[in-house]
Amino acid sequence: MALDDDYASSSDLEEEDYYLSDQEEDAVEEDVLHGLEDDHIEECRWSESSVITKESLLAAQREDLRKVMDLLAVNEHHARTLLMHYRWDVERIFELLDQKGRDRLFSEAGVTLHKSNISLTVTVTCIICFEEVSPHASTEMDCGHRFCNDCWTGHFIVKINEGLSRRIKCMAPKCNTICDESVVRALVSVDHPDLAEKFDRYLLESYIEDNNTVKWCPSVPNCGNAIRVKGDAICEVECTCGMQFCFACLQEAHSPCSCLMWDLWMKKCRDESETVNWITVNTKPCPKCHKPVDKNGGCNLVVCICGQAFCWLCGAATGREHTWSNINGHSCGRFTEDQTKRTEDARKNLYRYMHYHNRYKAHIDSMKQEATLKETIQAKIAASENKDSSKIKDYSWVTNGLVRLFRSRRVLSYSYPFAYYMFSDEIFKDEMTPMERELRQNLFEEQQQQLEFNIEKLSGDLETNFHDISDEKIIETMGRVINTSAIVDGLCKKMGLFVITAYIGI
Amino acid sequence: MLDVSRVQKELVECNRDKQISGVSILLHDGSHDLSHLTGSISGPVSSPYEGGTFTIDIRLPSGYPFEPPKMQFVTKVWHPNISSQNGAICLDILKDQWSPALTLKTALLSLQALLSAPAPDDPQDAVVAQQYLRDYPKFVSTARHWTEAFAKITSLGIEEKVQRLVEMGFPEDLVRSTLKSVNGDENLALEKLCSG
Ligand SMILES: [Zn+2]
Ligand SMILES: [Zn+2]
Ligand SMILES: [Zn+2]
Ligand SMILES: [Zn+2]
Ligand SMILES: [Zn+2]
Ligand SMILES: [Zn+2]
Ligand SMILES: [Zn+2]
Repeated sequence: MALDDDYASSSDLEEEDYYLSDQEEDAVEEDVLHGLEDDHIEECRWSESSVITKESLLAAQREDLRKVMDLLAVNEHHARTLLMHYRWDVERIFELLDQKGRDRLFSEAGVTLHKSNISLTVTVTCIICFEEVSPHASTEMDCGHRFCNDCWTGHFIVKINEGLSRRIKCMAPKCNTICDESVVRALVSVDHPDLAEKFDRYLLESYIEDNNTVKWCPSVPNCGNAIRVKGDAICEVECTCGMQFCFACLQEAHSPCSCLMWDLWMKKCRDESETVNWITVNTKPCPKCHKPVDKNGGCNLVVCICGQAFCWLCGAATGREHTWSNINGHSCGRFTEDQTKRTEDARKNLYRYMHYHNRYKAHIDSMKQEATLKETIQAKIAASENKDSSKIKDYSWVTNGLVRLFRSRRVLSYSYPFAYYMFSDEIFKDEMTPMERELRQNLFEEQQQQLEFNIEKLSGDLETNFHDISDEKIIETMGRVINTSAIVDGLCKKMGLFVITAYIGI
Repeated sequence: MLDVSRVQKELVECNRDKQISGVSILLHDGSHDLSHLTGSISGPVSSPYEGGTFTIDIRLPSGYPFEPPKMQFVTKVWHPNISSQNGAICLDILKDQWSPALTLKTALLSLQALLSAPAPDDPQDAVVAQQYLRDYPKFVSTARHWTEAFAKITSLGIEEKVQRLVEMGFPEDLVRSTLKSVNGDENLALEKLCSG
């Protein structure tokens, strides 16, 4: 079945015309301009997301608190305790309310609603400090446990300093009740206003840290923003600070690679074990001058550039007289099928890795170069916008084209590690037949080539010196940039779709 | 800061019925530092620890009682939840289940209960736990042997030892607590007394 799909999409691709006719161009231009204006239109793997700044954090939290307070008729403290426990998932709370009922929903989260209304008139003994205190110097929590205010304060301070303050439990043994935040705030702020502030900050940050749909932006230096996604949490998001990252692993955006692939690839590139492997497997030191000598196929007699001949199998110096299977006057017997196979495998793997790595690296390098281009181009735009002889004042299409260029260049670059793992004959041995794999690989490579072609085209057009050319030429370039941007976007999207259909867990 | 008044009250309270409860707490080496104490538990009846007296080193963090006390067996003991190497204890109320409403006495009583009822599924000492689960009779005999060897103060002669040390000029209370903390070894006690 997967095979049929492949045929279908592969023929789709052939039929599709990536070089649009003039009539179509205008329509596309409008579409693209519209698309570029709307931040929410993203390629695949880019879930809808919103940025929560420090300033909007409080409001975002209030909104969820309000919903729970209204629907369950509870106070803010209880609403927050519920939300923290159920990871700020309002819908889940309502779901569980149906499933578990109110009592269990509350008790599991540490919310106790019983409150004794007995007003004490006599002194009470605090069982923690063993002191007699007047009722107003002691506080009873929702669970009915009463201790003196000094002891409560001591308890709160220790918990806040431990960084556990989001869920401070009652002091009574085995009592699961979460202490009322207003009591904590009131008692702690008497002598430790700084800790009370810290407590409030922790409560606020819970909205992000105890929440599956919100994560801090991992930018360095940190921008302090958080991102909330709607829908699939396996996606890539962009912060207003410019950081594009994977919401699942918090590394830089790495599509079309999966998190695991990306992790493997980064490690592989880091420890260069392949190269070391290559040297040890593929070269042997010359017995005379000790330079590494590699064997370029053929028989087991190798000759160093110094002229020394030696046996590849045992490394011993020999004469040059030999046949395929033996060297005159030399017997080592170290030849085994196994050794040869290992050498061949290592060589094959290395060439494969180098093939993908070289292309990956080449696009990374272009990406770095293009990043420096950004400023140059912006300077050019500024100059052109102020040029009196030109009527063209709007160059936002250049900036938008640049954004497309950077993003698609990255996708292209990372599509090589993706292909390295996806089409390895080992990793997906059981999931794909060799024929299926070849089909998928051909299709993928075709897409890569088209993407590469269009990216280079886009890159070239964006480097135009708008300052020096006529308005007609600028308009021509604009048409091409907008057109190519759309094509590049489409191809990235296709690659994303391809990746998702090809996804098999790595 | 350490709640000194609570600790003092705890000591009085705990030692009042030590004959019945079988647990007691002294200042460590008779010093005046309330943050370093020595606890003592008598081995529970009809357990392999019966007849033994187990010494426990107690350190109180500055946040006590809002932070749990740190306890460790000084007496060597063969038990799944106590390290046979260093006496470290695996007990929830000494970690996240601590409550400020618990006391040193309740903690020691919990340790005593732990001696009666090991929890081999949450072991501190994997070797002991494995033996407990696979070869219970052997576990019992080893635990008993360790109790004999390490947890019994040879009460025979203890008074003579006290006498001799008191005659050297050390206060009797201090002598008794020191002897207890080293399980009756007179030479070790003398060493400790001299080093102050
Ligand atoms: Zn108190
Ligand atoms: Zn309570
Ligand atoms: Zn950011
Ligand atoms: Zn990721
Ligand atoms: Zn040579
Ligand atoms: Zn040859
Ligand atoms: Zn040879």
